[in-house]
Order: sequence, then structure tokens, then C-alpha cells
Amino acid sequence: MEKLFKKILVANRSEIAVRVMNACKVLGIPSVAVYSEADARSKHRWYADEAVFIGPPPPRESYLDIEKIIEAAKSTGCDAIHPGYGFLAENPLLPQRCEEEGIVFIGPPAGAMKLLGNKIESRIKMAEAGIPLIPGMKSSGTDFEVVKKAAEETGYPVMIKAAAGGGGKGMRIVREPGELKEAYEAAQREARNAFDDDTVYLEKYIANPRHIEFQVLADTHGNCIHVFERECSIQRRHQKIIEETPSVALDDARRAAMGAEAVKVAKAADYVNAGTVEFLYDESGNYYFLEMNTRIQVEHPVTEMVTGTDLVVEQIRIAAGLPLNEHLGNLTQRGHAIECRIYAEDGENNFMPSTGKILHYSEPCGPGVRVDSGITAGMEVGIDYDPIMAKLIVHAPNREMAIVKMIDALHNYKILGVKTSKKFMVDVLSHPEFAAGRTFTDFIEKHLAEREVDLTGYAGIAAALASVASVATPANNFNGGGTERKMPSPWELLGSWQIGDSIHE
Amino acid sequence: MNKQEFIINDEAVESTLEKNGENFKVLVGEKEFVLQPMGNNLYATYLNGKKSVVAVVKNRDVYYIDVDSVLLEAREPSAEGFAGGAGDQAAVKDKIFAPMPGKIVKIMVAVGDEVEIKQPMVIVEAMKMENQVNAKAKGKVKAVNFAVGDQVDTETPIIELEIEE
Repeated sequence: MEKLFKKILVANRSEIAVRVMNACKVLGIPSVAVYSEADARSKHRWYADEAVFIGPPPPRESYLDIEKIIEAAKSTGCDAIHPGYGFLAENPLLPQRCEEEGIVFIGPPAGAMKLLGNKIESRIKMAEAGIPLIPGMKSSGTDFEVVKKAAEETGYPVMIKAAAGGGGKGMRIVREPGELKEAYEAAQREARNAFDDDTVYLEKYIANPRHIEFQVLADTHGNCIHVFERECSIQRRHQKIIEETPSVALDDARRAAMGAEAVKVAKAADYVNAGTVEFLYDESGNYYFLEMNTRIQVEHPVTEMVTGTDLVVEQIRIAAGLPLNEHLGNLTQRGHAIECRIYAEDGENNFMPSTGKILHYSEPCGPGVRVDSGITAGMEVGIDYDPIMAKLIVHAPNREMAIVKMIDALHNYKILGVKTSKKFMVDVLSHPEFAAGRTFTDFIEKHLAEREVDLTGYAGIAAALASVASVATPANNFNGGGTERKMPSPWELLGSWQIGDSIHE
Repeated sequence: MNKQEFIINDEAVESTLEKNGENFKVLVGEKEFVLQPMGNNLYATYLNGKKSVVAVVKNRDVYYIDVDSVLLEAREPSAEGFAGGAGDQAAVKDKIFAPMPGKIVKIMVAVGDEVEIKQPMVIVEAMKMENQVNAKAKGKVKAVNFAVGDQVDTETPIIELEIEE
């Protein structure tokens, strides 16, 4: 296989950096990691062929510092940079600087990124292209009076969003006029802190919607396809935590129509590489364009599982100027895939971020079980970065089996030392409304707001485990490990045997 | 035989441990648990007739436990001065702490204000997210120790209340 690039720098950290490095391995391309002081013990540092130290923990002084990233690429002889998601992934300055330095950026061109990154401009562009949009403000602003007037015109409830937004930051639902001012201020503050831009806009809030997005791939030869949908309706704080594909809401006709619409969006933006077109899908089957994400998505693995593709490999191929792989034209959705995001957060306490040292780590395995992880035992989970630690993905012949498999995999995914919301996700997956496929974006608020875990039934087993652990020594904990295990002699393995007429047990 | 006491969910639980061949047999009250060591902090056991793999690891005087995705902590009663942080402070109702180190972006109450249970009091930004901290009891604001823009840790109370019984 001819090498598409000499070496690829992965300008990210944790699980997505490791994921990208895996794609590099498949293509026989060496990878280079970058790491901050806080990530000196992180998995992605060791996983790459080389690693470059890029500075102190604050993202601005390391992972967000474009010049440090460019310098790291040049000093290690990389001819391409993959940004992962988050950090610089949607900053058009990075592809611009790459171009100046003769480095290939594995992602969309700066122009498409700029257009789609601006939620207002992209709405105008998509309206021109005939893509259905949610009614709302025609322009963004920082003036409260303008926002207030727009809210009255659109009609309550309304949604306030950050113009530069994403990831649920700077988003607020306002149900009545009295709540507007406080929500507006909070959204601005969050937007300012997260994106350095407090411009907000407002749109009609659609009740009982599903979040359905389409994966698209576009090459530099004018080919553009969609790779089906992902449903990401299960969200807390407007952040996805459980994603699946296919969506139970879509039939083949609707799927084909929305997929064609997604391709239209990508083409209207002159898009190249992998991207995701997000739609809100309402109870009556109407769908509205939300935004197009110009990066590989956190939840891309579910698409890979049901279609048998490697989307990061496709990203690299496209960036190298190759036309889309031929097999991509004949994809089907086989079975069902679900992803659970494993955040360092307390599922029993309002998803408050949790920090600490990972004291124990073991992954589930088995057919159709995939773990994309950025953590290892002994690693410190701090407050410097997004609390996502890993993603657990399962693939099964149908949705019912995928749910059962996911619950079992969650039980067998052991991370001790920091809190996770594993139990919360088990409760979502076990909920009859989830089983029935009635997954709307208010699922958690509606069905699990009052949820409490009754721990009394667990005190017994917890005490039993503590007492065993209190006497555990490496010898009995690792029962059967290493050379300490007494191997059974060949005689013991023989079972019943005979000498002459007598039988020995 | 090895008798021990642990603090689990704020209650003392007594267990009696016995080695049973390769396995451990533990008696907790009326209940008997048989744990088969699988190595690497993992044990196989039957819970309500179903086989589960459970995990436990000890760090200082705290045992961290995962049973069917439920995360539990057990402490040795001698674990004096357990630093605990937010966990311990959750039991304190007259002091409002930041859930994690961060920056105060808004304070919604002033000294002398009467507050209701669950009333929002302060917003702390950490990990790029705003975390609203609510009152855990009805009371009167006695002190506000920080101002908007201040960095806070989890050890110093942001707000102190006089609780009304």
C-alpha cells in the first residue's frame, strides 16, 4: 500500500487522539502526539509513534496554540495534521496556517468551515438553498431589546443559542417572558467564556423533537454521499450521552429524503471531507436543519459499526486527494449500534464533573463490543479538559439485543476512583420508553428527573467486597496469575484412567 | 474468621470474612456472599441469583466499589479526618461549597436574605460549564465570603446560612 502521507500529527488528546492514531496505523502512516503538562501520563502520548510536549495545562497555552501545533508538525516532519474534535477542529485559522506551511489539513477547507461555523450566515445560505429551517431571528445580536422583540415575534417557548456555539454551551430554553433576561445573560456569559464571543441568537423551541443527524463524506472530485443517520436524542445539559443508529423514527423513504437533504447542505457549503448535518425531527415527521458540524463527531463509531466503514481512514484518504472509495456507494445499515459516552461526572449528583486518580481500569469485551478510550489505570483525571474519558460502543443484529449487550458491557466496564454516569445510562437503557423507541430530547428531564438510586440494597455486597479487599494480597487477588499459579500435573488432567482392571479417580 | 466494620452510605455495616477454598465467604447480617477472585480487583459472585463481575479497589482507607454499574464507597471507621471534599460537605447544610474548583460568575443572594430549600444561590464555572449551587435547607444568609470573579476551591464555604428548623 502506498503511503498517503509521510507522517500525521494528531492535534488533540485523549480518546479521539488514540482513535485517529489507530486509523494512521491501518494506513501504515506514523503518527505524532502532542501533549500538555497535564497529559504527561495520558494514553495518547504513549500510543503515538512520537510525542511532542507543547506546554502548560491551560488549552490556550497548549492544545489551542496554533503556532505550537504547527511547530510540532514541522519539527517532526509531518506533512498532515488531524485535529480530532473540539480544540482547534473548527477553527479556520488552523487550515489557513497549514496551507501557508504546505501541510495538509485533514478536514474541510477554511472557507466551508468559516461559513458553517457561523450559525447565522449558514442559516441564510441554507435558506437560499431551500433547506428547511426553524423559525427564528434573522440575525444575531448582543442587544437585549432586540432579543426580547424577536422572542415576542417568534412566540414562546424560545431557545437562546450562542452564535459561535456548540456542545450545549451558551444554550438556554426560555418558556415565558419573565425568564428571558436571566437566561439571556447566562447564555452570554457561557458563550463569552467558551468561545470568546458573546453574540447570541434566538429561535422557536420545538417540543418533543428528536435529534437526528446525517454523516456525509465529500471528496475533492465533486463526489458527495451520506452514510446514514445517527439518533442522538438522549442528552443531559444539551449534551449527547447516548447515541444510536439506525433511528427508529425513520422509514426508508424519510431516511432517503433527509440523506439527500444532508448532501444538499454539504454541496451548498462547498464542503470537502467528513461532516455531519444535524436536524431536529418533530413528532409529525417534519425536519429542520440545525447546523453542520465540520469535524469528525464524537459519536462517529456507531455509523462505522453498522456500515463497516472507517470514517477516519476515509478522512485521510480524502485529504490525500483520493476519490471516495467505491464500496462507499453501496453501503447498507446492518444491525443496530449504540454508543454511551463515559464522562468523569457524577450521575447521581446532577452530572457534576468528577476528578481523581483512576485506581482501577478494566474494559468489557466480546463480539460487537468496542471501547474508544483515552484513559489508563493510574492516570489523574483533572479539571483542565472536557471530562469525556471514553466511549463504549456495541453492535448487535437488532436494537433489542444491542440494548441488552450495552447494559452488560456497562456493568463490565470498571472504572474506579472517579465517578461516572454508568448507572444512569443503565437506567436510561432499561427504561420502557427507551425500549419502545420513544426517545425525544427531553427524555431525561421527563422520565429520569426524579430518579434516585436506592443504595440500601447494595450495602451488603459492598461490605463483603471491602472485607475481601482488606485482606487481598497480590497472591490471592491475582489468583492464578503469573508464575504463582501451581500448574496441575498431567496426572490431574487425565481424569479417570486405568491400569489393568483397577479404576483410579 | 475475620470480623470487620465499614461505613457505607453513612451507616456502619459489619462483615465476617472466611476463606473458603479458592473463594471468600462473607457474612453480612443474614446475607452470605461468595466471592471468587478473578484477579485484577475483580470478583465473580451471584447477586439475587444472577452472576455478576464486581470490582473493588482500596486507596488509603477508602474502598471503591462497582456492583452492576452502581458505584459505592466503603470506609474503615478509623478513617479519621477523611478529606472527602464534596462528599462529606454534602452532609453539611449550613455552608455552601463550590462543587469543584472554579470561578464565581454569579451570586444570587445577599446577607440577610431568607432562602428556601433548592433556591439557586450561586453559579460557579468549572470545566467550561456553569454549575448552579442551590440551598440545601431553608434559612437566612449569614455570610457571603466571595464576590463575582473570585476563584474558589471546595474547602472554603462560599455562603453560610443560619438554618431554620
